[in-house]
Amino acid sequence: MSLDIQRPEATPARRAESELADREATRPGPLFRPDVDIAENADEVIVWADLPGVSTERLRVGLEDGVLSIDGETEPESASLGTPVYAEYRSGAFQRRFTLSERIDPSRIRATLRDGVLELRLPKAERHRSRRIEVTA
Amino acid sequence: MNWLELPSPFVRPGHAGPWDALERLRREVDDLFSRAAPRVAPGGAGVLPAINLYENAEGLVLTAELPGMKLEELELSLDGQRLTLGGERRIAQPEGERTSFHRRERRPGKFRRTIELPREVDAEKIQASYRDGVLTVRLPRAASTAPRRIEVTSG
Repeated sequence: MSLDIQRPEATPARRAESELADREATRPGPLFRPDVDIAENADEVIVWADLPGVSTERLRVGLEDGVLSIDGETEPESASLGTPVYAEYRSGAFQRRFTLSERIDPSRIRATLRDGVLELRLPKAERHRSRRIEVTA
Repeated sequence: MNWLELPSPFVRPGHAGPWDALERLRREVDDLFSRAAPRVAPGGAGVLPAINLYENAEGLVLTAELPGMKLEELELSLDGQRLTLGGERRIAQPEGERTSFHRRERRPGKFRRTIELPREVDAEKIQASYRDGVLTVRLPRAASTAPRRIEVTSG
């Protein structure tokens, strides 16, 4: 008797999921998810991300095919601190991905990391800027 | 840092509307999971900055995740073995015309947290520094509790 079982991993969605799991499993330790605010005004999309313990050398920001990625690692715990006696957070890798609906002008993106907060200014491409339409009587 | 495993360290002042109620529920569920997670201490706080505490030969070291603040905006006080950390976090707002938010996960507001230290420290020698959004407070042992080296001489 043969059982025709549809293997769940055969579906593209499952495959993508397992690939993601595989990729994440290769990282040592947890993958954190920093808090972000995303706002927009007439000219730009602005992203703020809380990244305490992250220096510019350990931060990567990318924009590819309309997907904004923020990833990196926090500064490893310094041995000079001593032996941990109580812990609510730990160091490790982090990642966030966002799909931007606006077309961005990549040549004018500005990224600033200050006091553990990343500010990204993503200027909208000229033709995607919202325009006020003057209505005259 | 406020990550997958840990709830956000910042409190949001006041709640309004059904979405806030949902958000609060989500945070509570997150809190429950973070409590269940290994290596993360219970009471790992939800609404307050996440802290770590270390011990070394000089005394204790406390670190706290406080992104986007200034050392001058933080208040530290010591009462016996109770260390209190307080301050107010402000977050940037979009400027210009026709602004709107797509996501608001970062939480501004006042916070105040008291930590019971496991040993006596010397209030006069406390040193605080702030770098990359992390506060580090060095709390040297009180002289009375410092281990004394006992010289052993052969006679």
